[in-house]
Amino acid sequence: MTKTILETHNLSVEAQGLRILDGINIEFKENQVTAILGPNASGKSTLAKSIIGLSEYEVTAGDIIFEGESILDKAIDERARLGIGYAFQKPPLISGVRFQDFICRVCPSYVNKDVDTTLMSESCMLCTQELYNDFDRLGIRNLALRDLNDGFSGGEIKRSEIFQVLSMRPKIMILDEPDSGLDYDSLKMVGRELRAIKDRGDTTLVIISHHRYILEFLQVDTVYILNKGQLVYTGDMSDIPVLEEKGYDKFLAEVAQ
Amino acid sequence: MTTAEKKKRRAQRARNKTALYGLDIDVDRFAHDDSAVGTLERLDDLSEMDRAIVSQVAFDPDQKAVAGSYLQIDHELILAEMMLQKEGLEILPINEALMKHDWLNDYLWNAVLVDADKYTATSELERYDGYFIRAKPGVKVKTPIQSCMLMRKNRSLQNIHNIIIAEEGSELHVVNGCTSLSTTQNALHLGASEFYVGKNAKLSFTMVHRWSEAVDVRPRSATIVSENGIYIENYAILSPIHSIQSYPQSRLTGMNAKADLTSVVYGSKDSRYDVGGLLTLEAPDANGFVVARAVATDRADITTRGDIIGMAPRTKGRLECDSLLLSDGSKVDAIPRLEALHRDCVLSHEATVGKIGNEQLEYLMSRGFNEDKAAALIVSGFVSLDIPGLPPTIQRVVDETIRMTLDEGSM
Repeated sequence: MTKTILETHNLSVEAQGLRILDGINIEFKENQVTAILGPNASGKSTLAKSIIGLSEYEVTAGDIIFEGESILDKAIDERARLGIGYAFQKPPLISGVRFQDFICRVCPSYVNKDVDTTLMSESCMLCTQELYNDFDRLGIRNLALRDLNDGFSGGEIKRSEIFQVLSMRPKIMILDEPDSGLDYDSLKMVGRELRAIKDRGDTTLVIISHHRYILEFLQVDTVYILNKGQLVYTGDMSDIPVLEEKGYDKFLAEVAQ
Repeated sequence: MTTAEKKKRRAQRARNKTALYGLDIDVDRFAHDDSAVGTLERLDDLSEMDRAIVSQVAFDPDQKAVAGSYLQIDHELILAEMMLQKEGLEILPINEALMKHDWLNDYLWNAVLVDADKYTATSELERYDGYFIRAKPGVKVKTPIQSCMLMRKNRSLQNIHNIIIAEEGSELHVVNGCTSLSTTQNALHLGASEFYVGKNAKLSFTMVHRWSEAVDVRPRSATIVSENGIYIENYAILSPIHSIQSYPQSRLTGMNAKADLTSVVYGSKDSRYDVGGLLTLEAPDANGFVVARAVATDRADITTRGDIIGMAPRTKGRLECDSLLLSDGSKVDAIPRLEALHRDCVLSHEATVGKIGNEQLEYLMSRGFNEDKAAALIVSGFVSLDIPGLPPTIQRVVDETIRMTLDEGSM
């Protein structure tokens, strides 16, 4: 029996006074791949943002349990350091902070994490080559000297977010639409990267997506469907083609019968 | 009456003329130095303490990777030295240069008005020192030239007049640090700086200021850029001060001339900063930008001004004034202004004043930084001067200087 790494109990969440999640019970099994699907505005992103703890989302009832303990009282950075990695859909621009320096700061192997130390210097030479290899593999070497998220294209944002979260070596990675707005080449690159993480077998992947390609490429273990802030269906890979054919309305109406 | 006498007379008339901006200062409160100027033979003769102090404003006493140095301590000691014996590069104390070159008088109070206010007037009427740096036509000096003005005396006036001339087709990079001892009390620094960028020439001028809390500073500078000339100006002040007011002007008088002006203020304690600049696009196709960034902490009072005036066809100007307010007692006044005097000029501006964005903060926190570290990273990124066109050696020195200063402050 695989262990549960993260679960929500009866989780209700509001944003700007509107209830978005309504008593959700969901669990993510260690080192498995879970897909969260659902129509627009069903609460998928809110679930992810509530797990990392963004202040815009207020938990009004229920609990979030990570490795057996509630994380509701923990700040975002504490959750991150516990091993929860979240890739943003639309990350903000951080001017004056170069991408390659930033990667060093989030990398747990890097010893000098103070803001004022010079990065990518002698003390970091050991992994510079490795870092650049990784940049190359994800096709973001051209971003190394740019300010973080400064004018990154849609595909570059996805790849940079995945790369940052990867660099943190999290126990669970939550990816909010890692495949939206990507061309075929980028899609393949991201797919290969996620597949490699899965094959390594030491990271739990949670993927919010609308698209069949990446989910099939990854061979997801569990499929959850959210609708109107509630978990309405639990299934597996075999549901995805059916879902694609019928659409959410029809699919959910049929399974409800 | 000679031109020199005319300038003197104009200065005398402006002796009590209050400046347009900034706290008014009674210049007579400060002692004018009349001691004879001494020469510092070698930088090796500099005391350990002075070496440490000048290093904090991007001046390297070991002169690694510089083409030359100018150092002035109060009005007592002056050193002007060329490291790189390059034909056509001159670095001289201004008074020596004025004796050597008759024609240089025409450049004195040509870009800056001698009767602009009481500070320019005082500058002319009292004894002054400063540097003269020139690259002759076609001479490209890629290695930076460094200069430093240090104030040590109490109740004193440091009165500077600098002239830089980058003649046609030449290139110069100057890094200028101004500083005082932390113990210097009631001192006034006046600096008239006049820069001339010739046709197809390039000048980058990077200035780092680091003062103490009882020092007032009133620099008066102006640059004239000729056809296809490029002027890049960077200014950083990250220390407390009693007050500073500066409003450098860049006049693009030649076709397709360009000026990019960037300034960064990190305000702390009870300091008052009134900084910014004016860019006038006077010839067709002249273009440039003014970027002013300010961070206000403690009870700092910061005014950032950015003015662009478009006066000719196909001119382009962009203005950005961004400020971060990090404390309740501080204040930021961002005053961007655009003026179009020709229908075929494109001017734009954006201005933001606010606290650190929650979105940015939480983004960095999601990558494992605690709230303080995330805020510090955003602020250090905000004040970093990443300047296209600047030689990497200067960029490194500037980065290092900014880092050191933030390190020591409340960050």
